[in-house]
Amino acid sequence: MGHEQAEFADFYRANRDSCLKAVTAVIGDGLLAEELVAEAFARAWMSWGKVGRHAAPRAWVVRTALNLGVSWWRRRYREVPLADHDAAASACMSDGVDPVLIAALQRLPTRQLEVLALRIFLDLDTETTAKVVGIAPGTVTAHLSRGLAALRRDVPLANADTNLGEVIR
Amino acid sequence: MNDYDDVICQVRESFSGLRMEIPVEKVFARSRACRRRRLSGLTAAACTTVGAAAAITLTSGGPAGPAISGSLAPPSPGPVKLAAFSVTSGPGGSTKLILRKGAQHQLDPAALRQALARHGIPALVTVGTFCRPANGVSVSLGQVLHPKTLADGSGAVVMNGRAMPSGTRLSIGLFPNAVKMLLIKDGAPLSCGSTSRHHPAVVHLIRLGTPTRRA
Repeated sequence: MGHEQAEFADFYRANRDSCLKAVTAVIGDGLLAEELVAEAFARAWMSWGKVGRHAAPRAWVVRTALNLGVSWWRRRYREVPLADHDAAASACMSDGVDPVLIAALQRLPTRQLEVLALRIFLDLDTETTAKVVGIAPGTVTAHLSRGLAALRRDVPLANADTNLGEVIR
Repeated sequence: MNDYDDVICQVRESFSGLRMEIPVEKVFARSRACRRRRLSGLTAAACTTVGAAAAITLTSGGPAGPAISGSLAPPSPGPVKLAAFSVTSGPGGSTKLILRKGAQHQLDPAALRQALARHGIPALVTVGTFCRPANGVSVSLGQVLHPKTLADGSGAVVMNGRAMPSGTRLSIGLFPNAVKMLLIKDGAPLSCGSTSRHHPAVVHLIRLGTPTRRA
């Protein structure tokens, strides 16, 4: 295995789970997310000379996977116009994840959801999140605050006292 | 903002069990396959999810006329090979469907439905969801389907269209790592969803690739 290949393999192993979690949180389907993230990593390897120098390669992968997901859903809704098949969609195939939480996440506006996923699972700072999502840093903070408030309102919280204050600055 | 630490912790905790189980070797292989397709002139369509119909690469003179969705078209089974699937004639009048692992997101459900119809197999093809009879009563698959997962992770199904009871069609649900199949009666009310909890014995479930989590 060449140096670049080894470097990418390390990058993949270190970040695949966090990317999968972020994409799953946004699209609500773990199996589809896995497929999209794998495809996004494959594309990252195809352009590793550029992606490897990206400010946040993990974010590039997540952004690419989400873009692929948009194409998937567009085609699905264009070509499979079934009237009532979405009722159970929010509970689909995300092993171990509380379906109530998945449903609550899916009710959030897309931008809020993306900001939450990038901040919580990739630990991106506000500036980087803003660049990845394509919004102003102040909007990132607002989205994060509103999204978390909505989750608190909609999801019964277990007792969680871990100090994660550094996530939201 | 620290007021939300408990929410963040709960979200992280809830997702902590998610693991990406695809080995990096498969990512490299996927990249190589994509490069090959680009170099062979199939253009980026085979590597993108937009415009799945553009990924169709007819390799022989199959019937050109589109079949009517869900109807039983006159059988004229020319071999049709597509980027994401292939439908070919098998021995004894059977039909062989191969769903290529890793290309499900490129699959055009309308194209698959039409290809099966040309082989005399009416089908309802859905992506990311699966349709069953709303009343829970299914038609026995009997000798209609013989599914298996190939060594490369692709799914292969040998179908015997002649064994399908009249007035039925095949419901095919395509998911990233699995395919579900079931015979349904024409005109029966359907219940469609993406959950995987309901697995009656008559559903044929094909896992694509290395089994990861439940499908």
